[in-house]
Parts: sequence; structure tokens; C-alpha cells
Amino acid sequence: MRPARTRGGIAVLGALLTLTLAGCGGGGFADSGAAGGGTGSIRMLVNVTPNLTQDFWDRLVAPFEKANPGVDVVIEAPSGKGVSDTLQQQLAAGDPPDVVETLMADPTLAPQLVDLTGEDWVKNTPLAQEASLGGKIYNVGVGEQAQSLVFYNKTAFTKAGITTPPSTLDEMTQDLGKLKTAGYLPLQTSGDFATGLQLLQLTDPALAAATPQFYQDVRAGKTTVGKAMLPYLKLYQSWLDQGYVDKNALGLKYPDAETAFLQGKAGMFVMGSWFTASEAKAKKDFEVGVFAAPVSSGQKSPGAQGATMAAPYLIMKSTQHRDLATKLVRWLVTDQQAVVAQLKQDGNFRTGVQREFTPLEQQVQKILDAAPAKVAQGEGYGDSTLPRGFNSAWNTEVQGLYIGHSPETVADAVDRWLSAHAK
Amino acid sequence: MRPPGRRRDGGVATAVMVLPATVLYTVMLIVPVGLAIYLSLTDWDGYSAAPAFVGGSNYGEVLSDPEFRRAAFVTLLAAVVGTVGMNVLGLGFGMLVSRTTRVSSILRTILFYPHVLSALVVGFLWSAILGTNGAVNSFLTSHGAKLLPFLSDPDWATATLIAVLVWAQFGVSTVLYVAGLQTVPQNLLEAARIDGATKWQTFRHVTLPAIAPVVTVNLVLSLITLLKTYDLVVSLTSGGPAGQTQTLAYLILWNSFHDGRLGFGSAQSVVLMIVTAGLALAVTRLRRRADQGAHA
Repeated sequence: MRPARTRGGIAVLGALLTLTLAGCGGGGFADSGAAGGGTGSIRMLVNVTPNLTQDFWDRLVAPFEKANPGVDVVIEAPSGKGVSDTLQQQLAAGDPPDVVETLMADPTLAPQLVDLTGEDWVKNTPLAQEASLGGKIYNVGVGEQAQSLVFYNKTAFTKAGITTPPSTLDEMTQDLGKLKTAGYLPLQTSGDFATGLQLLQLTDPALAAATPQFYQDVRAGKTTVGKAMLPYLKLYQSWLDQGYVDKNALGLKYPDAETAFLQGKAGMFVMGSWFTASEAKAKKDFEVGVFAAPVSSGQKSPGAQGATMAAPYLIMKSTQHRDLATKLVRWLVTDQQAVVAQLKQDGNFRTGVQREFTPLEQQVQKILDAAPAKVAQGEGYGDSTLPRGFNSAWNTEVQGLYIGHSPETVADAVDRWLSAHAK
Repeated sequence: MRPPGRRRDGGVATAVMVLPATVLYTVMLIVPVGLAIYLSLTDWDGYSAAPAFVGGSNYGEVLSDPEFRRAAFVTLLAAVVGTVGMNVLGLGFGMLVSRTTRVSSILRTILFYPHVLSALVVGFLWSAILGTNGAVNSFLTSHGAKLLPFLSDPDWATATLIAVLVWAQFGVSTVLYVAGLQTVPQNLLEAARIDGATKWQTFRHVTLPAIAPVVTVNLVLSLITLLKTYDLVVSLTSGGPAGQTQTLAYLILWNSFHDGRLGFGSAQSVVLMIVTAGLALAVTRLRRRADQGAHA
């Protein structure tokens, strides 16, 4: 009978609404947390990669647990695709961890985080000020990842007659031509995230010189990403047209690109400093060198180095062990042994911290030391932040150059994405 | 006529028996769907305490979003072509191995094997085979042939994705068809043979009508499976080149978790849910009509 069905429907809907609101309301959203006692269990959500294994994390925190009896650091690997979506799921379930590694604070995440600005020890951690948000420090990191690096095959350079690494993009274009003539693939790239990332890494120094307040200008509407990046998109298009980049590279995974370069097939490979870890493990019959990404003609070389915080940590405001979590994070980013272990494991750097360097890592450290400034990269960090998801949107559009889109079309598409996602 | 008291007892017993299923159905299906609908009307980013109600604006954006339209096209193409492929292969191989012999048992295992593998593993496996530096292209280029852009050209990559989807899924169709074919009455097949029917005539007029319900189940299952393709896209193409092989499920998860737009992603998932339900219902009804026609 219809009336009964209607009554039943209303009952179900009522229950559903109650459950829905309960589900959204109980989601572990911001509260003040609690200082907690001197012992207890600290849950730490971390990034797990081939370098940063669960075993590595367990071994890393073992000395802290030993030095603090009654403290148990529980390492949590992402259950989802990554740390970001796992944290979202945990927040929605009302069960967030105490400490999170990998994520950078942004205006969305900041209300959920403990403000570390008042802590004396944070000020000497790498990029803490640069990554601050509205004058507040939420992230502390172990080191820096240099982003604007060009690794090169020294044998290929010699065979191509290149005696000095290029310092401008024009010189680099000429060298790409020489490498092609010498029978090498001039510039190695791949599909996945690498296509767009490499273009950003390569152009960070030139962009920082041309538009020093890039992120602020974009957010203030004084320029657009498309407008600022158009010259570099055109340059990249010309490299594609001249065969300096393989048009079929999008069919490669990122690890395949690393392998191809380390097999000696390509002349140059633009990548972040973490590539040094892969290089150290590879068996090869040539030497790899590295130089800072070139600048545009007329700009001062070397330019600012694109840099991101290595192993950034956050403390969730909802923690019931705020003091203990702070103590752990402080230890992770200031204890010499813990810092060196993390730097070494993922090929990262920190000025003033000595560790056993490979020859290539020594060169990267020199580049970092010589850089006149460090600039945010990609989506950026702190006050220099573009909307979340920019990196992948940029990557997709840059890949459009490979399938026939013009640089202008790519620039327009990026700007459309940004205006649709700007808050 | 039953005494009134006994009837009441029966009603209570029925309610008690139905209760667990009702609770499970509500918690596992109605609540998540209700939540998705609720979130689709908000701007929730997955972190904020209080998502703002934005009405139907997410739906307006979904329908005007070129990325969504492209992903919808790829998804529908994969669903339709893949469903045909899975069922043609499933039925073909099903007929080949439907008789129980030692060889057919081994063949069934081999045919089902791709489905046992995780879709992520399948994707990585095929990208190692078909990638630019993969086994096939290495073989071709080392023999002087031109490289084939299986994963680097948008059209090739879409075709490759669909082919790998079919490869990974047709084992299930095969198993269901084998089960269906074993229920075809032997006396009917024997009668057709005695009447001088050809193999095709026997298949067309005896076998196919007998397995019609299995065909319906297979078509609906294939369609639903393919409409929510996600993990194979992650491992095979990462949605590329240039986002040209993004499916709706891939896009929904990307928008929701990677870009932190759970409200928008929920609106996309509600649209996908409606389309999937509509297509599944349409196929079921069409098949039911066909079945009735076959039995008439």
C-alpha cells in the first residue's frame, strides 16, 4: 500500500539524514587536542616508497622509543593512494594520526594543525620560514630537495664536443642539438608526473628572475601562469619539433626514464636531487655530472634554485599527545643521527650537516650552497601556494604539446584550470 | 484459515529474519549513497570542519566540465567495446572448454588466470610489454621496424587500455558461460543434430536461447565492471597521454582526494551512479524482451 510505503520512506530518510549528519559531524575535525602525559602511543602517518620502507621508518624511530621509555611510535603507511587521501579518510572517520609526514600546510589544512611558530628549535630547520603560512610555521623538515638540476652524461658531452655545461637556455638548446648530432637522445623525459615537473624544474631559475613574486603575482591577478610560462612552453615545443625530446616518451614510466638515462642513451635528464640515490645504485660505464638549471639570456647565473622541503612533518591539532608529538618531531628534525639517516635514505641535503656523499651528491651540495636564493616549485608552499592539484593539471596540459596542442592552447588551458580552482 | 495469533508470530519472525539484511543494506548501501548525495551539494575539501552548502552548483560544473565529458566518452567507449569483447571472447572460449576433459580443465584455469591478477599488476605488466621501451617495441626497433605508440598516442592508448581491460576480465565471462552451457539440455542438442541442423543453426536456435539469462547477467556484470574502471588506468596509462585515457572513476578519485574537491568528486560519482544504473536497467530490460521473444 502506497501510504505505508511513504511512511517507511520517510522513516528511512530520517534515519539516513541522522546518520549522514552524524557521519559528517564526528569526523575528527579540529579541536584543541591535549598536551598529554610523558608516555603513550604516537601515531605517525608517513610516506612509504621504495627508498622509505616501513622497516626504515621503524628503525628510524627506535632510538627515540629507547630514549623515552613508555613511548610507542606507531608507524602508519598510507592505506589509500598516498598520505594526502589517507589523511582525508582518517579525518572523515574521526581517527586522524598525531603526526603526518610528507604533506605541506596550505590554507585548507592549516586549521587542523598545531602552530609551531613559538618553538625555538623550528627556526633553524630548513625552509621553515619560506614555507610559513600567514606568518605561522606549521611544517618542519629534515632537509631540502634541490629541484632545478640538470644531470648529464659526461661521455655524451665529450663526444658532442661540449666542454662546459650550459648556463643559459639558449646555450642549452645549442647543446641539445650537438648531442643529437652525436647520436644521443638529447633530453630524457617520460610520461607519469615527470613531463610537466621537468619543465617547471628547468625553468624555475629563469622564472624566478623574470617574475620574482611569481606566486603572489598570480594570486593577486597581476599575471597568470600561462602568460608567465608561455615563452618556456614555446621553447619546449621547439625542442619537441627538433627531436630533442622523444615524442613517444609519454609511453614511458618515470622509473623507465631514470633507467634509460642511466643506460647512457640520453645526454641530459632534468630531475630533483633524489635522483642521486638512483644514480648511486646504478651500474654504468659513464660518469654522471650535474649543473644548475640554466637561466634566460641576460639573467644572472646561477639563478635561484627551486627547492622543496624534504621530509616535512606536521602535528595534527586533534592529537591527545601534543607535547609528546612535538618532542618526537623535534627529535626527527634536529637529532643528528636521525637527520643524517633520513637525508641519506632519500638523497636529500641540509646545509651544515655532513654525511657520506657520492661525488654526484657533492656536486649537488655545491649547487645548493652557490644558489643565491631558494624558490618554491610547482604548487609551491606556504604563502607561495597555487591551488591543490596544480601540478597534475599542469602536467596534463604540458603533455598536450606532445599530441599537437599549441603552446598558446596549453597556456590558456592552465589559466582556465587555475581560475576554476581559485578560492 | 490460520488462527490470528499464529499469523502475528509469523510476521514477527519474518521481521526478525529480514532485519539483519535490512540493517546491512542500509549501512552498506543506502548510507554511503546518501552521504555521496549530501556531499555533492557541498564544497567539502576533505579537511574542513564545516562544508558549505552550494546547492546544485557542483552538478552544473560537472556537466560543463570538458575533462568530465572526455572521461565520460572514454568510459562509455571502454564499457561498450569492452562488454562486446568480453562477451564474444567469453562465449567463444566458453564453448571451446565447456566439455569437461583434462585439457579443457587446464585451459579454463589458464583463461581465468588474468582475472586472478591484481589490475595494478596487470597494468604494470602490460606497460612493460607495450611501453615505448617495452618488450614489443624493443623487438620491433631492433629489427628495423617502426616503434608503435601503444601508450604514447591518445588513440592507441585508448585502444590499448580497452584491449587490456578485456584481457583482464574475460575470464569471468568465460566461467559464467561454461556454467550456462553445461545447463543446455542435451536432448535438445541431440534433436537438432538428428534434424540435420548445422552448428550455427544449433547455436542460434538452441544454445543461445537456453543460455539467454547467462548472457544477460554477463552483459550487465561486464558493463558495470567496465564503467568503474580505475586501477588499470592508474598502472597502465596514469590517465595519459595528456589526460586522454582518464576514466570517470579515475577522474572522480583524482578530483576528490588529489585535488581535495570531495564535494565536486561526489557530484561526479552521483552522475556516474545514475548513468550506470540506467544502463544496467536498460540492458536488463532489453535482454528480458529478447529472452521472452526467444521463448515465444
